[in-house]
Amino acid sequence: MNSKVVNSFGTLHPFVLLIYFAGIIITAMFSMNPVILTFALLGGVAFMVTQCSKNEFFSDLFFYIPMFLLIAIINPLFSHKGVTPIFFMNGNPVTVEAILYGVDISLMLVSVIYWCKCYSKIMTVDKFLFLFGKAAKKLSLVLSMAIRFIPLFRDNFREIRQVQMSLGLYNKKGILNKLSSELKVFSALITKALENSADTSASMRARGYGLKGRSHFSLFKFRKRDLVFTVILTILFSVTITGFCLGVTDFTFYPHLDSLRLDIVSGVVYISFGIIAFLPFITEIREAIVWKLSVSKI
Amino acid sequence: MNKKSLIKLLILLFAVPLTVILGLIIFNDRGYSFVAICVAGFSLIPILLTFEKKENNTTSLVILSVMIALSVAGRFIFAFVPFFKPVTAIVVITGMYMGYECGFICGAFTALISNFMFGQGPWTPFQMFSWGLIGLGAGILGKYMIKSRLLLLIYGIFSGVLFSLIMDVWSTMWLDGTFNIIRFYANAITALPVTAVYVFSNVVFLLVLAKPFGKKINRIKTKYGI
Repeated sequence: MNSKVVNSFGTLHPFVLLIYFAGIIITAMFSMNPVILTFALLGGVAFMVTQCSKNEFFSDLFFYIPMFLLIAIINPLFSHKGVTPIFFMNGNPVTVEAILYGVDISLMLVSVIYWCKCYSKIMTVDKFLFLFGKAAKKLSLVLSMAIRFIPLFRDNFREIRQVQMSLGLYNKKGILNKLSSELKVFSALITKALENSADTSASMRARGYGLKGRSHFSLFKFRKRDLVFTVILTILFSVTITGFCLGVTDFTFYPHLDSLRLDIVSGVVYISFGIIAFLPFITEIREAIVWKLSVSKI
Repeated sequence: MNKKSLIKLLILLFAVPLTVILGLIIFNDRGYSFVAICVAGFSLIPILLTFEKKENNTTSLVILSVMIALSVAGRFIFAFVPFFKPVTAIVVITGMYMGYECGFICGAFTALISNFMFGQGPWTPFQMFSWGLIGLGAGILGKYMIKSRLLLLIYGIFSGVLFSLIMDVWSTMWLDGTFNIIRFYANAITALPVTAVYVFSNVVFLLVLAKPFGKKINRIKTKYGI
């Protein structure tokens, strides 16, 4: 595990990243196939290793392993489908199929959560605004202003609270008193914020907001590397999706377990999805090796 | 017919049914949650488009972003009481005083922005949809709610329950792939204390904030001549 967070995958063009994350999250969320789901989970966890500190990684792991087991155990209590009962509880059968289905569901949930965590780490607000800013100028302006106001309001809130405290108007004994004092401060914050918004809009108008011919500033460029990734992703995703449509990866738990199809066609689908799932991890590792080599040359 | 209503019509007539069919063909077992996410996502588009294309004055844009920021900041400010948050109240107030479009956008964007901080996930379109819906309803009932305090409180209670139930529907579908009614009851019952706190916080915040906010916004309007 790296002490420093390497970030090579995150420097790709936001558009490529969006395709990647949408593709992998949708595939993981809607596949029932245990092989696909295992790949998705391992890929997500492996990428997470490169993206966060040791502490964060292990505290996540200690949270998700019990969650994984809990979901797996709970499913048989609700679902009595399946033909292989192990024992009966309150007259309802607890079946092998339902337990394995629970394991499958928790594989899906945990892998989707891991990929969403990776998404949150990589797709920061600026990338999101870049992607949707061109389509909806006004909405992205509202969004970016709101994002800027949040830390401002938190600071303002602290300021107002300090003033109220020093005036002796703030009572923090007991939760009810504290709550009503906080509400008073919050109300003052609303007044201040609304008052300032009139100023902001006046200065926006003075600087020509809404005039024709405005351009859109961004730091993102579509480079050769992005093109290579797009091509690779397109090929791998089309192989996977074709596999899905042909029913190669179909796997059902009820009424009884399917046997997993293992031949050349399904192998190709599994391998291509496996490459997709581990692509960010491989990118980061490659970057780390290149970095180590170039440092050792100095 | 102009371009805007054409897009709306296309979404309603083709995109939604198409996702339902595709979802059921491709992901037969998990189809429900896929369809639900897509439909929740599509339902956001028409109102967002209307807002985007309409002529708004700059001040109302800024006030809208202030309201969104206040409701997200409220989640941090009142972090010391669990689940007791002013978010729904502010969404309702925005809808009441600024119209249903602004109410919808305030709700939807609050969910979006707070998930940038608390983690995005497949639940994002659902939260956006349910908070947006609450703001939309507040906008439609706004005229009456400004006059009648009772109606406002009833709406506060109703929106707390609604939000909780929509999220329960979602978690049921996500866990099962299909809509298992027993699991839905189980979810709704375990969420009961949280729902109660939601309802209580909505009522408290609406009581404290709604009237003064009306005064404040009218003051701004007279002062700056909007």
